[in-house]
Amino acid sequence: MPHEEVLAEEGRRVVMLGNVAIARGALEAGIGDAAGYPGNPSSEIIEAVSVASGKLGSPIVEWSVNEKVALESAYGASLSGVPSMATMKHVGVNVAADPLFSLAYTGTPSSIVVVSADDPGMWSSQNEQDNRWYGVHAYIPVVEPSGVQDAKEATIEAFRISSEYGHPVILRTTTRVSHTRGVVEAGRIDAEKLRPRGRFTRNLERYTLIPAHARRLREDLLERWDRIEERLSRSSLNKIEGGGDLLLLGVGLGYRYAAEAARLLGVEARIAKLQTPIPLPSSFLHKALDGVSKVLVFEEGDPVVETLLKSFIHDEGLDVEVHGRSDGYLPRAGELGLDKAMRAIGALAGVDPGLPSPVEPGLDLPPRPPALCPGCPYRGVFPGLRKAVRRSRVEPVYSGDIGCYSLGVLPPFRVQDTIVEMGGSIGLANGIAKTANGQIPVAIIGDSTFFHSGITGLVNAVHNRNPMLVIILDNRTTAMTGHQPHPGIDVGAMGEEAVGVDIEALVKAIGVEHVRVVDAFSIRGVEKAVTEALDYVRRERRPAVLIAKGSCILVALSQARRLGIKPPVYRVNPDKCRACTVCYTAFNCPAIFRVEDGKAKINPVLCTGCGVCVDICPFDAFEPVEEPGKDWILLMRTATPAGW
Amino acid sequence: MGYNIVLAGVGGQGIITSARILADAVLASGGNVLVAETHGLSQRGGSVVVHVRVGDVEAPLIPPGMGDLLIGLEAIEAARYVNLLKPGSPITLNAEVQPPPLPKITVPSLDKIIKALREAGYTVYSIPATTEASKLGDARSMNTLLLGYASGLGLLDQAAPPEALADSVARVIRRSSIAVKAFWHGFKLATAQSMTTLKRQR
Ligand SMILES: Cc1ncc(C[n+]2csc(CCOP(=O)(O)OP(=O)(O)O)c2C)c(N)n1
Ligand code: SF4
Repeated sequence: MPHEEVLAEEGRRVVMLGNVAIARGALEAGIGDAAGYPGNPSSEIIEAVSVASGKLGSPIVEWSVNEKVALESAYGASLSGVPSMATMKHVGVNVAADPLFSLAYTGTPSSIVVVSADDPGMWSSQNEQDNRWYGVHAYIPVVEPSGVQDAKEATIEAFRISSEYGHPVILRTTTRVSHTRGVVEAGRIDAEKLRPRGRFTRNLERYTLIPAHARRLREDLLERWDRIEERLSRSSLNKIEGGGDLLLLGVGLGYRYAAEAARLLGVEARIAKLQTPIPLPSSFLHKALDGVSKVLVFEEGDPVVETLLKSFIHDEGLDVEVHGRSDGYLPRAGELGLDKAMRAIGALAGVDPGLPSPVEPGLDLPPRPPALCPGCPYRGVFPGLRKAVRRSRVEPVYSGDIGCYSLGVLPPFRVQDTIVEMGGSIGLANGIAKTANGQIPVAIIGDSTFFHSGITGLVNAVHNRNPMLVIILDNRTTAMTGHQPHPGIDVGAMGEEAVGVDIEALVKAIGVEHVRVVDAFSIRGVEKAVTEALDYVRRERRPAVLIAKGSCILVALSQARRLGIKPPVYRVNPDKCRACTVCYTAFNCPAIFRVEDGKAKINPVLCTGCGVCVDICPFDAFEPVEEPGKDWILLMRTATPAGW
Repeated sequence: MGYNIVLAGVGGQGIITSARILADAVLASGGNVLVAETHGLSQRGGSVVVHVRVGDVEAPLIPPGMGDLLIGLEAIEAARYVNLLKPGSPITLNAEVQPPPLPKITVPSLDKIIKALREAGYTVYSIPATTEASKLGDARSMNTLLLGYASGLGLLDQAAPPEALADSVARVIRRSSIAVKAFWHGFKLATAQSMTTLKRQR
């Protein structure tokens, strides 16, 4: 089972992912509850806690419908006296920001840690926001680990601080901490402590944020903030090494780059490791800055510490130069790197960084963007949609969204004109419907995304009579982030039985009149359903919804392996193929490739047995090597993940 | 600055698994290791690179020009990340080109890629790892076969000894006994190659 190292025996040293180390830290800290919404680079935390929970019976773990609810759910558990954790990717915190700010006002009778997994370099995100600003903005201390072992220790310290002050703590991790594997020494897990035995105790003046209470709580909050700042100066997470008049201030992972770069360059400098950047711990900084004339700040993301440090130095009347990302010593955007760190230190210390010049082979390499898997249910939907749009002579605006179907932005599909944030497809379609003359918005949204933040946009469209076609891609999972379950299926985070919410019934209940369910694996079926729906939208000037059902093929294949079902393999009959190229260009299945004469051939290793090629070929050249079984045909349309 | 291994290939080829095997073996042999992985988007058949750093290291990423070995599970991807290597470093390559599924692109041939890498000064050791693994009955064991090959060439000695690597293959890939066989098969092919063709390849 993946992530089972989260339960490594006490005292053992094991290799684990940073995110698994965070989960381990939370278990060692004794959490009773964890909730999250998937998103890279955060997802493995909940997955690993679920693995532990499956073995130990607790803590309680849930995949929530979105980040706001995940945070509220953890908030409620914490108010009931149970140490709890909410996990999400950086942009998820935007969704959860409302309860986050209140959380700082009410505080908690136990403890709560909000994990924000930021993504410098945007490896799998739409932006590079630095969520330490949320700490500044909402008065919530931020703990930021430097590496994998530290991720575990920092999580434990975050819970300790949270329970000492009854105040939330943000654990800010970044891609290269969360998705780096390293050696971790396992500490003690007390399985007894993980059992949530909560009880809510009424405290109106604290937990009801009416203005009269909130005003008082704000005073409390500010006073608590100052005490927390003093406490952070004493945190075991921070330390100072070496001496000299140059200070390398390494924040979180920035410390690793600073320390190794200084060592490689042989530069004598004082190095400070700061893993509690918000609020800036002042006595720690006084110690670190003592006798120093220059500081170089290493941090992933924005120059947060750099900016706050300048203000600190000004207020304290110190005479110290501050350098970092804001003045070009380190780049303003993107991830840090050892080469960048060496260059910056070299420039400030006046040494040649001596960086090697890599040799490029001078080849013209084709790009290799990610593509829809062979057998992906969306591969049939997109051509069906495009055909229908062409046939109906409507001018579409493809209001896209975030999920595997975002890959539909690439040629040959080109069915995403906007991709902005989760739920944005329907949200933007509302405004486009009202204002874009002669165009019809086609909102394309995944099932998990629909539950996350599509429902409210659709309610808006119905109420305001905004004409649009909404296509809900119901692949029975949250595929993009690693195939987690979602509220539409009957499996929970721990693989336990859950209640699947019926999308069709929900959409009808919202008041959409034209609702059709269509088989995603049938191009012709999709084409017909889209044509009818567009007709309806044009005629009635109201929203229509199409639910395209077909399981993520990777989930179907893994269930097939488990159940001993053998998917078929397809082949091309060379006598029928007329080299029209449609299957490997317009349909673009990675399992189909071109042979010399322009005809098509199937790579049997890549073919997943979806059989949609039979539909796309105008000359009936595709055929199964052996007839597909009924159980496979059904599984392709119904398979759901097994949970973690 | 430790021993830096770059693993490159196409999403789905078992690159992260290879890195896990390496990391486990390093720890079992008493060493320290960091593995920076690519998750998310790149897994849908996209380009994947994983950085493995062994020894007294702190930072997770290998900077350009500082890698000691590249293990290429596919030739285009090996060429894409070769700039991470120190000039002249060795490359162990699965002799295979997987054309990206994009309309209207030109794809360089395997020979052309290998030639260009050699002309750029790199030492290329190549082996048809997928074919060899298929012969053993599991094409997916290509990744461990390639690890065995690199180990047989002595290029992983600074990470872990071959026995530790093989044990780690068995620990990490429990589903398949072929994976371990593939490791030793790759190892033997390397030793056989070193005796015969290796001199010529250089
Ligand atoms: C606010 C926010 N939370 C989480 C994510 C991460 N994320 C990207 S795509 C996706 C889910 C996609 O699921 P679904 O809509 O079912 O589409 P699929 O990937 O299955 O095609 C998530 C959670 C995000 N981008 N933004
Ligand atoms: S993971 Fe599933 S939904 Fe995503 S591209 Fe592959 S088959 Fe499609």
